[in-house]
Amino acid sequence: MFTSRRTFLIGGALTVAALAAVAASLQAQDVKITDPRSVVMIVNRDSNDISFMDIKSKKMVGKTFLGNNVNPHMVMMSPDGRYVVTGGTRANKAFIIDTRTLQLVKVIPTDIAPEHLAFSPDSRWYYQGNPDGDSISVIDMQSLTKIKTIPGFVEPLNVTFLPDGSKAYVGNYGAHWVGVIDVRRHELLKKIQVAPVPGVAKLDPGKYLGEIKGINIAAPSNDGRYLYAADSDLAVVGVIDTREDKVIKTIRVGRDPWRIYMSHDGNYGITANNGDETISIIDTRTNSVAATLEAGPDMTGINFAGGKAFVISSTSGFVYVYDMQSLKPAGRIKIGTNVQLETATTDTADEKIYLAESTNHEVVIIDAKTHAIERVRNVGLFPWGTHIMDSKDNYCH
Amino acid sequence: MRSAAGVVVLLAWCSGTAAAQTQAAPPPMNMADHRGGIRGAVRNEAGAPVANATVTAVNAENGAQFTAATDAQGAYAFGALPMGRYDVAIVSAGLTAFRRTGIAVEADRTATLDITMNAAAAAAASEFERQQLLERIATLEQRITDLESSAVLSEPETRVRRVEVFVDASGNEHDAPVPGAKPAVTYQRERVYRRQTINEKIEEALEEAEERSVSVGVDAAMGTQFAGRTRGTLDANKRAYALASADLFFTAGLAQYTVFFADIVGLSGSPPDAEIPSLTLLNGYTARLIRQNELNLREAWLRTELFGQRLALTAGRLDLTNYFDQNAVANDESTQFLSDALVNNQMLGLASNGTGVAAEFDPKNGFRFKFGFQQSNTDATNLSDSMYTLSEVGYTFTPFTLPEGTYRVWFRTDNTSADITKGAGVSFDQKLTAAVGLFARYGTQEVDLGRDHFYSLGVGFQNGLIFNPQDTWGIGYAQMEMASGESEKLAEGYYNFNLTERLRLSFHLTHVLDSPDADTRFGYLLPGVRFQASF
Repeated sequence: MFTSRRTFLIGGALTVAALAAVAASLQAQDVKITDPRSVVMIVNRDSNDISFMDIKSKKMVGKTFLGNNVNPHMVMMSPDGRYVVTGGTRANKAFIIDTRTLQLVKVIPTDIAPEHLAFSPDSRWYYQGNPDGDSISVIDMQSLTKIKTIPGFVEPLNVTFLPDGSKAYVGNYGAHWVGVIDVRRHELLKKIQVAPVPGVAKLDPGKYLGEIKGINIAAPSNDGRYLYAADSDLAVVGVIDTREDKVIKTIRVGRDPWRIYMSHDGNYGITANNGDETISIIDTRTNSVAATLEAGPDMTGINFAGGKAFVISSTSGFVYVYDMQSLKPAGRIKIGTNVQLETATTDTADEKIYLAESTNHEVVIIDAKTHAIERVRNVGLFPWGTHIMDSKDNYCH
Repeated sequence: MRSAAGVVVLLAWCSGTAAAQTQAAPPPMNMADHRGGIRGAVRNEAGAPVANATVTAVNAENGAQFTAATDAQGAYAFGALPMGRYDVAIVSAGLTAFRRTGIAVEADRTATLDITMNAAAAAAASEFERQQLLERIATLEQRITDLESSAVLSEPETRVRRVEVFVDASGNEHDAPVPGAKPAVTYQRERVYRRQTINEKIEEALEEAEERSVSVGVDAAMGTQFAGRTRGTLDANKRAYALASADLFFTAGLAQYTVFFADIVGLSGSPPDAEIPSLTLLNGYTARLIRQNELNLREAWLRTELFGQRLALTAGRLDLTNYFDQNAVANDESTQFLSDALVNNQMLGLASNGTGVAAEFDPKNGFRFKFGFQQSNTDATNLSDSMYTLSEVGYTFTPFTLPEGTYRVWFRTDNTSADITKGAGVSFDQKLTAAVGLFARYGTQEVDLGRDHFYSLGVGFQNGLIFNPQDTWGIGYAQMEMASGESEKLAEGYYNFNLTERLRLSFHLTHVLDSPDADTRFGYLLPGVRFQASF
């Protein structure tokens, strides 16, 4: 009895000491972010770093340098908030940052030119797409190691996990099919053809045998039952039933849709049609085009907030606004002249949009209600994209 | 007993280059006094000794290789090995029969390693080598990846940036506001370090060159029509007509949001309108025909956008009606209906191009306001005596649960004749579904005898009920009632094959019935083909 009590006391003392040591260690490493939801992450392509901006104060709370000539492409926080990751396109590496300390904790070699990425809902797997390597790198976030490279894709851009994490869907920009990955085995299970290439394609080798512009992303409905995949060359959106992994409907949209963006209520999906500078609004209840409206050139993203859709026209310097109730234009916000707009994220309250503007190295905050803008300058060189944990508009281009 | 001749030496995989060496590497002089050994016996699976087998010991740290042969009892011994860890192996017939790694050799001691050459030992050795091979392949792959990633341009890239600075009374420039400093705009070079592939660099250079150059576009079309008389006694019957048209466009960016555009057109051929005196043109291209086989400047204007690009001003020689009543389903004789009655409102009443200005205000909220004026008579010696004005308000929205539709109303005046003539009209295009769109137009104008009336309506199809994805087709009807008693009824159907992005082939069937007066009527059925290329 005496021995066990002494053991208990010693054990307790050791535990307290260990916790104190960990706390002291973290203190020593300078905890910079206590609430992962409190920051906007900004990926800066040319300064090769990730900036962290406090949402409330709009001040920079830290910056993580990744290395020379890394050219990070997309930044994302793991769903559990522990890590922030990015793919270094020119470094061919994945970079893992500790969210609390903003320390770069691991650099993992991937395949060629890693760009877009996704986490499994349980934060266990980090899938890094390598468009030039035609592969997906699978990174285990428990051991922080790359456990596998899944080959067989064709310029894989975006990865979408089902809500239950059982399967992941990969948009292939160099082909007209969506890849289905079995997440348990990390293997390519199936290729879902979104639509057949039309018979007249052989008359147009300039278009069909030149550069392929296929599928950017298979975007999920809110319940994950359906996926919407826009194919640029074919100008269609394929609706995929994830239970059977087959296309149940093909919806024709405007020319050269860059990709589809889903509204937060799940009622609409909007394609940004750069070929004819329009947007096609798809009603997901009927899976048909509810409206095709004029937009601007070189659209790189669509955000939803305050009951509106905000369409980023990259080279015009404008954000086009549409009322999602009446499905009609609701104005246009001028961001600047001779500026290049990149992509944006929306806060979790659906009130503000954080738009990366690369020419002046700034992030422009748009009030969704009033359309007022506020600039946060010098966020890093060539801000390429932004990200907020749990935002429904976390994407890249 | 395993054949001793068939047993050969293998050196450990990790000492790849050393494997080619048969001589033991000389140990460092200062290690000479610190040696140890390995010894043991080699037996086969049945337990019998294996004679004349060569056992190899490779120093794991420096790759130094030592060999020893077994005697008749299968015994082998390495008597004086430098200290360290050794990989011991035996290869038989090219296959590793045994491998053990990490045998420690300590000073003045002899480690014992008895070897049994059985299937399990061979399998373990094989697996070890397989793993090492995989690691080596992975290393090579990584090196290739690194090589590929480094095969890019990484020289610094410079670009010029517009910056806001603050200049004080002394002319010193500050990045942030300081007391007494005034904000100013300047330009400065910025240097960034970004790796780009050669392809990216070339693409950027090409894009830049394209932006600075004059763009040239071509729109060439040939419309062939056959006319069969269905009513009346006019001479024209069972005749073929053809009209070829080529438009050459020039576009150049001159300044911020300012472009120059010119359209030179040449036509050749005989349209049915040369012989059939219908109220409206049976071939919409006929309107462009000024002189046969000659190039004519059709349009040449400057366009600039002001007030946040909400207001667009176009000035120069233009066709003002191009900017008004832009019905999405029936507006273009080059891709939709061929008959002029179905692509234009006949009550707009402007027959020729001329000097003018068009202003378009688009607040991007669904409304669109337009106003323009143009010289309507090219023979007039001043603009005041040939002033044609046109105003329009349009609104785009999604009525009820339908897709988008645009509704517009316009009003025009023309003082070319002694009395100012006025006209007004409405027009709409409304999608019923993503595949089906309706259109309708109505227009009226004042004339001496009263009022002329024109209306047209029809339906257009795209994205459905078609052969190829980008094909379109439509059916339309137009009617004109003149105060003078003349009237016309025209119907047309077309199917437009979109063969490629630059090439279209369409088939048309038109019927027109005209009544020049109460007693005369003539009708024609006109099947036609239009071949159109634009690039």
